[in-house]
Amino acid sequence: MEEQIDLVGKAFVDHYYHLFDNDRPALSSLYQPSSMLTFEGQKIQGVEDITAKLNQLPFDQCRHVVSTIDSQPSSFTGGIVVFVSGSLQLPGEEHHLRFSQMFHLIPVPQGNFFVQNDMFRLNYG
Amino acid sequence: MDPDAVAKAFVDHYYSTFDSNRAGLANLYQDGSMLTFEGQKILGSQNIVAKLVGLPFQQCQHNITTVDCQPSGAGGVLVFVSGTLQLAGEQHALKFSQMFHLMPTAQGSFYVLNDIFRLNYT
Repeated sequence: MEEQIDLVGKAFVDHYYHLFDNDRPALSSLYQPSSMLTFEGQKIQGVEDITAKLNQLPFDQCRHVVSTIDSQPSSFTGGIVVFVSGSLQLPGEEHHLRFSQMFHLIPVPQGNFFVQNDMFRLNYG
Repeated sequence: MDPDAVAKAFVDHYYSTFDSNRAGLANLYQDGSMLTFEGQKILGSQNIVAKLVGLPFQQCQHNITTVDCQPSGAGGVLVFVSGTLQLAGEQHALKFSQMFHLMPTAQGSFYVLNDIFRLNYT
């Protein structure tokens, strides 16, 4: 039986990659000025710079295929850490890229979450 | 507090302890600590150390490839690690990713509140 925290983690992951793969600019709704992204070692701060980085990645289309999602409560204030592994398919590329990503989600008053911390790494084989 | 310095010191200490004296990891966890190891959820220092000490290999060596860290906003540090795990007698090293959420202790060091480990299969 899935625990509540697993359901929240899975719902977030599904939503995040759906936006990423279909409407990348809309990811801005998931970050705030305090958000931090480390993308392949590059550190980026704040919703504007993070959204710019993601929108400028050198591919127009992509598809994330998630293999594993692990979630845990991160603190007393309702935060959740989510650890994802999967593959990233780019059109025209024969081989998928494998990746790992971790999110630290903080609840907002409206009942959903924003991404306070985001770290992404490709897993080279 | 410099998150990069905390993360580097922690990673060095964690994996050298893991590789030389696994039971010594006990003082890095507390009662509220959580480990998810290849999808299995374990709660509390005693259970976590029992799981790690009980892993089916006597000797191992972690080789760290990448360490990323960020302050977590809860006074803690999030650390995201990738690397390989070499088991004695095995020809091929296993690739892994691991994340830690470190929280400060009253004594001025850090303990592991959250720990998630996954092997990266190719």
